[in-house]
Amino acid sequence: MEMRFDGEFRIPMPRQEVFELLSDPEKFAPLLPNFHGLERRDERRSNLRVKVGIGKIRAVASTELILEEATAPDTIRYLGKGNVLQGAYQMNAAFHLLEDGDGTLVRWEGVSQLSGRILSIAGGGLRGYAEKEISSVINGLQQALSPEARAAREARPARPAGGWLQRLLQFLFGRREEAAAPVAAEGTAVEPPPLAPHPEELVPIREEAKQRISRVLEVPRGMPAGGRKEDQRLVRGKGLYVDDNQPCGLLHMALVRSPHAHARILGVDTRAAETMPGVVCVLTGEEVAGMTQPFLQIGPEPSANIRDYCLAVEKVLYQGDPVAAVVAETIEQAVDAAQRVEVDYEPLPAVVRCEEALKDEVLLHEHVGTNLTWQGVYEYGDVERAFEEAAHVVRIDHLRFHRFSSTPLETNAVVATWDQRDRLDFIGNTAMTVPLTMIATALGVRMDHIRLRTHDIGGSFGNKINNYPYMTLAALASRKAGGRPVKWVETRSEYMQAGGHGSERDYFDTEVALDENGVITALRSRHVDDCGAYPRYEPLGCVIWSQVLPASYKLRNVRIDFSQVVTNKGPCAPNRGYSRLPHMWFMERVIDICAHELGIEADEMRLRNYIEEFPYTTPNGCVYDSGDLPAMLARAKELIGWDEWKRRQAEARAEGRLIGVGIGTTLDSGTNNFAQSRIINPFLPFSGNSQMANVKLDLDGSVSVSVGSFPQGQGHETTSAQVVAEVLGISPDCIDVKPGFDTERNTHTGTCGTYASQFAVTGLTAVHGAATRLKEQMQRLAAHALEAREEELEFGMGEQGPEVRVAGSDRSINYWALSNLANYNTATLPEELREITLNATYKYTPPFEVPDTGRKYGNLTLTYALQLHIAVVEVDPETCHVRILDYAIVDDCGKVINHMIVAGQVHGATAHGLGAALLETMPYDEAGNVLSGSFTDYAPITINNMPLLKNVNMETPSPFTYSGAKGMGEGGGAPLHTICAALQDALRDRGVVIGNSHNSPMALYDYIRQGGGVKVEVEHRQSA
Amino acid sequence: MSETTTGRVPVTITVNGQPCTREIEPRLLLVEFLRRELGLTGTHIGCDTSFCGACTVILDGDAVKSCTLLAVQADGSEVITVEGLEGEEGLHPLQQAFSEHHGLQCGYCTPGMLMSSLALLAENPDPGIEEIRKRLGGNVCRCTGYQNIIRAVQAAARALREE
Repeated sequence: MEMRFDGEFRIPMPRQEVFELLSDPEKFAPLLPNFHGLERRDERRSNLRVKVGIGKIRAVASTELILEEATAPDTIRYLGKGNVLQGAYQMNAAFHLLEDGDGTLVRWEGVSQLSGRILSIAGGGLRGYAEKEISSVINGLQQALSPEARAAREARPARPAGGWLQRLLQFLFGRREEAAAPVAAEGTAVEPPPLAPHPEELVPIREEAKQRISRVLEVPRGMPAGGRKEDQRLVRGKGLYVDDNQPCGLLHMALVRSPHAHARILGVDTRAAETMPGVVCVLTGEEVAGMTQPFLQIGPEPSANIRDYCLAVEKVLYQGDPVAAVVAETIEQAVDAAQRVEVDYEPLPAVVRCEEALKDEVLLHEHVGTNLTWQGVYEYGDVERAFEEAAHVVRIDHLRFHRFSSTPLETNAVVATWDQRDRLDFIGNTAMTVPLTMIATALGVRMDHIRLRTHDIGGSFGNKINNYPYMTLAALASRKAGGRPVKWVETRSEYMQAGGHGSERDYFDTEVALDENGVITALRSRHVDDCGAYPRYEPLGCVIWSQVLPASYKLRNVRIDFSQVVTNKGPCAPNRGYSRLPHMWFMERVIDICAHELGIEADEMRLRNYIEEFPYTTPNGCVYDSGDLPAMLARAKELIGWDEWKRRQAEARAEGRLIGVGIGTTLDSGTNNFAQSRIINPFLPFSGNSQMANVKLDLDGSVSVSVGSFPQGQGHETTSAQVVAEVLGISPDCIDVKPGFDTERNTHTGTCGTYASQFAVTGLTAVHGAATRLKEQMQRLAAHALEAREEELEFGMGEQGPEVRVAGSDRSINYWALSNLANYNTATLPEELREITLNATYKYTPPFEVPDTGRKYGNLTLTYALQLHIAVVEVDPETCHVRILDYAIVDDCGKVINHMIVAGQVHGATAHGLGAALLETMPYDEAGNVLSGSFTDYAPITINNMPLLKNVNMETPSPFTYSGAKGMGEGGGAPLHTICAALQDALRDRGVVIGNSHNSPMALYDYIRQGGGVKVEVEHRQSA
Repeated sequence: MSETTTGRVPVTITVNGQPCTREIEPRLLLVEFLRRELGLTGTHIGCDTSFCGACTVILDGDAVKSCTLLAVQADGSEVITVEGLEGEEGLHPLQQAFSEHHGLQCGYCTPGMLMSSLALLAENPDPGIEEIRKRLGGNVCRCTGYQNIIRAVQAAARALREE
């Protein structure tokens, strides 16, 4: 096998010096990145040793290096011969040196020939490997010769062992004995004299601070025990997030965004921007509308006709709506030029409240004719009769769930390359494969021409699913820029305007029927969701809430009239607890308000209403798989010390202090059935769910796993390795799980991704299935190799690592040898074993059916993890500042696969809920201005606001999954219900009913002063 | 510091012990200098208002938010980034503790958390929870709810005291 390489690089050294350097192996070899040693044999010959590695195989390659030609000042040729990894290679390398100003341009070319086993090990990957090695050699040379590396060496004392190295340093930097200038400790760099002197008085303080840091920095290092696989790179700053990618020829995109919430675009003048330095091209809405189809809409007619492009076309519909995109060589140039784009707007009245939107007086999408994206009635049981027979009826005029976002710390971002071979490559941080459909149809590109890959994602919480308009825009920009890669990284301010908010919901005219014991028998209500200016992933939220229609309660008669509208606010995206959270908050408010009005304690009210038997089929056909709510409540009460807090609460009340204790019960429904989308739009061709995984023995016998999810911190590498390790009876350390997602790994279906609390179920069942298939193949091969029957074999760790052995004997075969049989040694196999690939893919499809869309009836979700929270809060009667005095959590997600990861998800979901309940909100003024335009205004919860949590886990295995595990992670926003319940309990004597999911000190102050909150009426009837 | 004809200015900043000289635009932020000019992408950007602390580095012994400083302000200074924590023989006790106690999930805030924690432990070898809260109050994590970050910092403090 022969490979040719060539390239050029520039060194800031005179040509003669470069020539002398490159013609002497003693001088340049130590600069190579993997240099291991050099022995000079004669004038022209030396032995060079470098470390090499292919996959898990590491070796030292010994090369005989012969200087074949050194013609000053411009030509050097080497011949290298050697052996590595049971293979032989020969390499010819030539350097041509050209003068280039005060430096030297080095043109190089190399031809290498390889033979032997190295080829079969490295196979087709050898060229990529060789390219990587060569580029690391060239980069190593360039770096070693960069000004700062030279300066560092210059500052360092010459090592006593000097010899050739000392001569090299002298040669490179022209210094002789004086090179050993007085310096600090051996090997440490010396601080150069500061160019701008600092004030004298600061120097001692700075020195002291530096010494303090040195004391904690200069300590022994070691390896962590028991952490996640992912941590190995993430704690070292070696994660690879989108903005960390710097491909060759990279361009940067900045957006021009609307300052108006609603305005007609009269004109966009890009001429000044286009002449700015570094600008490559500018895109406008009109232009992208000519190049793309509008994005697919999920909703039925007429909202299916909404025209959503990646830039605003005729109108802007929210503050921050992108109007134009500027592409330039640097991000600074792009931002500078974006400020020179002139947009002429005619402002229009803005609609910011759902009640206004429903009137259809001001229309966002005029040609659609309405602001309503979807409306439908969910009705089950006999609601009218239940109200006729009720002992008590409670009426709640208006509850409101506010707009907020989980605001992942890494914003939306993408690097798109749409090259001239019509291949579209995305390095991104979206969260599922569905957006690919949106992009492919908008751009008119075949799906197999699109590559989408992620590596590390800095959180998503559902939000980044809606990155697709920006991915589409970056693709168009790349094409317009001649196929160069274009990077777009959303700023935090852009995120706060447009990056994917959680939707808000209003609950009108709620009526609750209860029997004489306070058991809820029926509920009717009208809910209106506000999804912002464009539906995007909506109106799916109009049905997803119904996965938890009765929440944790056994009422059978329900009528909910559900609508969704567009308003002049940022487009919404799925947000942790998507759509179910607002509904469960509503149901928990209903339970607590009814308890409050009927004088029943919150714990007692729940015990009277909880679902008791599992599996439980809800009025709309969903099946709650397992759980024990009374036991969870008892455990949580024990954990927090319920009786003690109730006693202290009574004492505190007597002193005029406001302490409240609140309970929140939450369902975290996981693994959705996409068929529920047909309740929204019967013509959608989606149903069920599926995830794929691949487990294989690689050519060297290493076990390698690919998943179809988009991990964002949930530890998928760690838990996948755990599952495979268990199947094969080996240590998870022996298993490599590829980071992130890649369409080219071919382990995805149309619904793959990280959403709907499902990895433990769909993702790991797929991994388990693939590992089991691989094991079956290995068993067949091993039986042949060991001349044994399959049932005699056992899997485990042997002296040489993972192996398959004949039980009770000393006959075994290791993974390398098994791989060898299937990959290199196939002629030795009998016919029936030749099909074995040792490369197993498995697709897991949960057992779903298509619901009855007319009745809105069917199983919408596979598993229901449960959370029970209890909070104790104190409200300062003067300032209304809320302090959390105690917080307890019991979670049940069925069989736990990794307790550390589950606890981490519970903590994180709790932090989001607490932040949302007390701090985080995205309000708009009447004109549609964003009032939380930055993190400083939004105030995401910090360590200062976060209480210490008491959390324990209970396990009631799911009967519907192979492992008994339930998906978890979204947590259902339990703290929102819990904090609202606790606040209500604290303020009950002041006549306050908490009716808003967000409770700032200002809002609480107003409630107390104005005696308010929500208007509630109770009608007590004669017992029937 | 002197301005060149191209409007660029030379700066020399010692990063993780290595002096680095570049000619830069005067408006370049220190975080951009580290990420773009030096390729040290472990230091992250999470907001525009110096709120989130993902960009925290050590500058002349103190934890600073590198998005709040111009690179020219760091001229002549010594900077330590997350890449400067590990050694050839393994990870710093703080890195080990964050992994062992699951003090990170997505990892985006982690470099900033580690650097703020390093500055805290340099001043206080045995910080209580309130002291940890005070010193990490400028670092936002959206994944962990901070519970295990507190545990990790305390575990690292113990490990360092035992050195």
